[in-house]
Amino acid sequence: MLTRQYIDGMSNTAKAQPAPVASEYIPLKARNVDFEWSGTPLHWVPGDPATTHTINVLHLLLPAGERWFVHVYKQVLPFIRDEQLRADVIGFIGQEAMHSQAHDEVLPHLKELGLDPTPYTAQVDWLFEKLLGDRTLPPGKARQWWLMERVAMIAAIEHYTAFLGDWVLGAQALDRKGCDPTMLDLLRWHGAEEVEHRSVAFDLFQHVDGSYRRRARTWATAFAALVFLWQRGIRFFMEHDPTLLNGKASLREFLRAGREGVLPRTGAIARSIPAYLSRTYHPSQECSTAQAVAYLARSPAALAAEAKMTPARTTGGA
Amino acid sequence: MARVPLPRPRTVIVVAAAALLVKRAMGRRVQQSPLWPMPALEDPISGRGRSGLGGATLRLLVTERQEAAEGVVQLRLTGSELPPWQPGAHLDLVLPSGTIRQFSLCGDPADSGSYTIATRLIAGGRGGSREVHEQVHEGEEIEVRGPRNRFPLVDAPAYVFIAGGIGITPILPMLRAAEEAGTPWRLLYGGRSLASMPFVAEVEKLGGPEKVTLVPEDERGLPDLAGALADAPDDAAVYCCGPDGLMDAVAELYAAGAPGGGLHMERFAPGGNRHRTGVNGAFEVELRRTGATVDVGPETSVLAAIREQALPDLAYSCAQGFCGTCLQRVIAGDIDHRDELLTDAERDDQMLICVSRVYGDKLVLDL
Repeated sequence: MLTRQYIDGMSNTAKAQPAPVASEYIPLKARNVDFEWSGTPLHWVPGDPATTHTINVLHLLLPAGERWFVHVYKQVLPFIRDEQLRADVIGFIGQEAMHSQAHDEVLPHLKELGLDPTPYTAQVDWLFEKLLGDRTLPPGKARQWWLMERVAMIAAIEHYTAFLGDWVLGAQALDRKGCDPTMLDLLRWHGAEEVEHRSVAFDLFQHVDGSYRRRARTWATAFAALVFLWQRGIRFFMEHDPTLLNGKASLREFLRAGREGVLPRTGAIARSIPAYLSRTYHPSQECSTAQAVAYLARSPAALAAEAKMTPARTTGGA
Repeated sequence: MARVPLPRPRTVIVVAAAALLVKRAMGRRVQQSPLWPMPALEDPISGRGRSGLGGATLRLLVTERQEAAEGVVQLRLTGSELPPWQPGAHLDLVLPSGTIRQFSLCGDPADSGSYTIATRLIAGGRGGSREVHEQVHEGEEIEVRGPRNRFPLVDAPAYVFIAGGIGITPILPMLRAAEEAGTPWRLLYGGRSLASMPFVAEVEKLGGPEKVTLVPEDERGLPDLAGALADAPDDAAVYCCGPDGLMDAVAELYAAGAPGGGLHMERFAPGGNRHRTGVNGAFEVELRRTGATVDVGPETSVLAAIREQALPDLAYSCAQGFCGTCLQRVIAGDIDHRDELLTDAERDDQMLICVSRVYGDKLVLDL
């Protein structure tokens, strides 16, 4: 219902239009979560370092990546001509800022466990701060183009964060394997919020630009970059894991984990590609808001954040 | 589609050989330095952690729990190689319910094996002190963050300390530091009754009657604040911590041209307190780059005022001081930080304008 308005406003002569599912809409708010990492083991998927490190790559990419989302979106706010969308983007920004902070907190813990991520994260920082940063561009067209390009890239990346979020919420195999509960809560709280706000990045892109060619082009860039960074991150972790002799990342392990259900299946990943490239694609057609909301209602981190909402400050000791 | 002629075998061989060579060269290069070819940011941002600068999360063991005075519980939290702290610092305690409360450290900064805090049970309080009193026991583990210091002891030729009740906690380490440094000091310490005032023996041992004035209300009435300020040396730094009424009275006396002159007041203000009692001043915010001035009333935030009166598109999100989106650089103004996020270093010249305010009547932002 509400998502509809700002999409109808854009000029698009093509017959095929993104078709949002109104019932999947939910207002957004950031949650002031906090995680305690001291009890989380290095291989938090017990006995499965390959899967652990495949998911750990999130901690390498997300702190810098989601900080970059916020940085870009702050600049887009003045271009938004729809109050509902503006409210969604403002909620989105806060959620992303908390995701970035929450994953960042894992990094010092990895370092304590003997797996220093800094060589890798310093490069990710470079990627988002420099390569994808503001660059010295003349005001006007060039600057606008670069902003829109980044907005479109974020929409493409958000397609995958929502995909992963929906997957992790339903990945019962992770529970059966006895994964560390704190890490699972981080992933599922994050995943649930990604599902909650999965339409915002796409709606924003449609609102401020909406060009199909840009959508397809930036999807290709984002997908290639994700694959490149992910395999590189897994290799980095496997090689530097202090408990593994000759740790190697392998495609076979990835396929095996997919079959076991502790990672997404390769087929599901493949199917997400044509989904995004379809002209009628809208993020609300995928994933389940209900599943996300249900998790947030029992997530220890989200519940603690709720409890914190009463203003809390005490001097001397009152 | 136009027909593409088949490449000649020689071309195929040359291209294949070139590809193979490139692949092997790349492989060797990657083996040499696995993270080739991406450059790194010189000063990495990720991984420093929110608590990395502001104080890490620790799990400490409650090794001692005793009654420091009537209704006051003193806890000793033990760990190893704890982060160092300076007088005036506080600790965030994550209570069993998940609520976070701040408690001033009142032990010895030189002790790197334990932290000491004390808290008074406040009837009808917000439950933080009640939780500590009822649910934190010896032998249990408790999660803490910090320490952080919002109330540092500045170098001064002399000090006047004014404490009310449990407000003695941040002052106590300051007394020890001042005594050790040989700096002259005076303490005016008020409370409801002698039995309810914690650390009376410690304080008396440190100073003796010529330095310490104890004012239990049931015996001697209210402390003579004006007198204490009047007797202070001209260049003394005044430190005050206690109930809001006491703090406001001292602030008022001081603002009304406190006797002694040249005094400076360091306010202990993990802001929330003043906010809760409704003491929210009105002030003016100058947006230096925009060239606009905005009025902030007692009921509104800096953020809301700026968005209404000058910059409607200014970015923000949680409006509660934790997400960090509304962070702005401060050019001038005595910031009253009320957020949960910024580190002490960031607090020097930055603020979250959704919750934080300013002491005084003027704030200049780089906006």
